[in-house]
Amino acid sequence: MSDSIKLILPFKAEYVSVARLTASGVANRVGFDIETIEDIKVAVSEVCNKLVLLGSKVADCYRIIFNIENNRLCITFDCEDKSLKCIFNDDIEGLGVSIITALMDSVDLCTDDEYILSMSKVLEGNFINESK
Amino acid sequence: MTSELAFREEKTDDSIKVFLSGEVDIYTSQKLKDKLYGIIDSTENDLRIDCSELNYIDSTGLGIFVGTLKRAKQHGKKIYLSNLKDNIRKLFVITGLDRVFIME
Repeated sequence: MSDSIKLILPFKAEYVSVARLTASGVANRVGFDIETIEDIKVAVSEVCNKLVLLGSKVADCYRIIFNIENNRLCITFDCEDKSLKCIFNDDIEGLGVSIITALMDSVDLCTDDEYILSMSKVLEGNFINESK
Repeated sequence: MTSELAFREEKTDDSIKVFLSGEVDIYTSQKLKDKLYGIIDSTENDLRIDCSELNYIDSTGLGIFVGTLKRAKQHGKKIYLSNLKDNIRKLFVITGLDRVFIME
């Protein structure tokens, strides 16, 4: 089973909180505990921060795709502006990267495919709680 | 949509205490910067920041704290952080900032 939730946001700081709220809701649905939900929320927010700071000259929005795959939540960032790649290369030892890599189970800061960045978190223990 | 960042300020004999509440993110961080830099620039006292009602902070907010600390040191003042929630303390530990600030 694989479900996908997609969120499209403008490159504006005031909408990063919407990404956090969505990340919380999806992570809660998957069944993560409160501490892990907070970690996922923070990691998503850090990527959004970077995208908002960089912005784009050719695209108005970026897209966050939450893929729920069995016991794993995979979060991918995408944009029509394909120049947005390896967005943390100029700040690889910065606070944002430290936080993202510490909080998520796996992070691909510089993907080989068309996406900007992807990261994932594995739910330990049981599969998604269908009764939620 | 979001928990707005708010401040409350108390003055004691030797310090100024700021109570933060809400969320510090890329949208609200400028407000935090203006507040903390304003205090550092306008007083001779140390700064105590109470985070008991602070629910969220990101790297932008942590950067503001670091900038405020640098500014405070230039003026020979200290900054104390107190009552951090676990999720916020965790970010200080991850980034090593728990060793930079005086945490109460």
